Amino acid sequence: MGIKRGVSLYSYQQAQFFKKMDWKDMIREVHDNLKTDGIEIIDEATIRDYPFPSEQFIYDFREYMARYNMKAVTMDIYLDVHQFRDHVMNYREAAERLKNDIRLAAKLGFANVRPLCLVPIEVIEMALPVAEECNVRMGKEIHAPLPIFKGNKQQPKHGMAAALDFRMAEQILELADKTGSKHVGLVPDFGIFQHHPSQVAIDYAKRHAKNPEVIDWILENSKDYTLDEMPVVLDEKFPNHGLDAGTVERMSLHEMSGDPEDLKKIIPYIVSMHGKFYQMTEIPGKPGQYEDKSIDYETPMRVLRENGFEGYIDSEYEGQRDQQDMGYEKLPDEVEEVRRHHEMLKRLSEG
Amino acid sequence: MFDQYLIRKDSLHNVVEDGKVTGFKFAVRIADYRGCFLSLHNGYYINCDGVEYPKDLQRFEINGKPPRTFDEIKTCVWEHWNYDDEGWVYVTKEGGLAPGKHVIGLQQSILAQYGYMPWDEEWVKNPPVPGSGAGSGKTAVICQFELELQND
Repeated sequence: MGIKRGVSLYSYQQAQFFKKMDWKDMIREVHDNLKTDGIEIIDEATIRDYPFPSEQFIYDFREYMARYNMKAVTMDIYLDVHQFRDHVMNYREAAERLKNDIRLAAKLGFANVRPLCLVPIEVIEMALPVAEECNVRMGKEIHAPLPIFKGNKQQPKHGMAAALDFRMAEQILELADKTGSKHVGLVPDFGIFQHHPSQVAIDYAKRHAKNPEVIDWILENSKDYTLDEMPVVLDEKFPNHGLDAGTVERMSLHEMSGDPEDLKKIIPYIVSMHGKFYQMTEIPGKPGQYEDKSIDYETPMRVLRENGFEGYIDSEYEGQRDQQDMGYEKLPDEVEEVRRHHEMLKRLSEG
Repeated sequence: MFDQYLIRKDSLHNVVEDGKVTGFKFAVRIADYRGCFLSLHNGYYINCDGVEYPKDLQRFEINGKPPRTFDEIKTCVWEHWNYDDEGWVYVTKEGGLAPGKHVIGLQQSILAQYGYMPWDEEWVKNPPVPGSGAGSGKTAVICQFELELQND
């Protein structure tokens, strides 16, 4: 048994955009070259005519997965509260979208759905009977900047971190324990073990900054300020820096939001994991072995291994978007990046 | 995302309606890794050769239907813009564009979200004006394109 490897087709979004690969090509790449069987999809990227795909699409998808003996692990689902535009979707409406997505996932053969970390726990609870009925597990994502457990962490008052509830994973554990249901759990993303901005994100920020030195200053000094303090300090020190709040937040990252040791307590609740990464580079002195310098994989993989995790880690390559402001010849090769990621996943799974 | 690729380079055309040149059009893709409910599409910041063309001068063509205004698009709450598909942005400009190269600055506004945010009620009453960065999805910068007007 042991840890299983899969790929979120999210990883090949650029190849899909340029029509170099369709979902069938992606499935064959995972089967033929990565020699594994786990498939994860983004509903609104892979499913033609979501949320009302044709019966033919559903049959075609199941048939193709069966042909290569692949496992439909997790379908990533969304919550756009402005869909109706004349009002903000209420919790009952949000639960209806979630239930519909669960039914769609079941039709396509998926074992799990991934609702986002901002979906209120009440909405998850309202959809739970449908998840049970369809035998689809809901794994709420633990996405950066969320911790696994809040502990003593102070929640920032601004940016994405302010909108998220740092008690998210605890709420899921409470709901699972209260109901005794196996159909509610978690999808931790390795992005919570990112401890430094990726080089591709730094390069993008510098190409677009009025004054790239401000980026260097943030990188050198981020350890000394909280996320709430940094924008204030920047405005004082560089009055016309012109950086948007998102860029400042990304460049200020200097510690993991999740503690790998906390994984021990949530392993029974993990439905699958996201293997977020930005750039795989060769480890100096170890030809053919790769790492993402901005994310700690070794420690959490050791914790998962030692504590008997047997679920899927699905690669989620995200470095391409930071390079698409450049010419075609400078775009990264997603297929190669994911192959390198699987070299690492395989090596670290075996310990 | 897809900063340099949001407008197809060889897609700038003048628009002829009822024998008159009424404006120009170009082909776009979605600035995200997923499609969206069409109602979420909230128009564009468009600057062509230094002139801004606000949302009420824009129409959008998708899913095999004639170009629609963004007031109409807003009501398409069950229609979907597939990730794979190209849409056409129509801009009203009497006489259209002159032959040759044109510089277009573009920001796409799609009110896609990952859940509830503090500004939700405000966005129902006053949707963000494209160009400010608010509601710009995954590409917050104004992307610049130099395009050659194509002969029809």
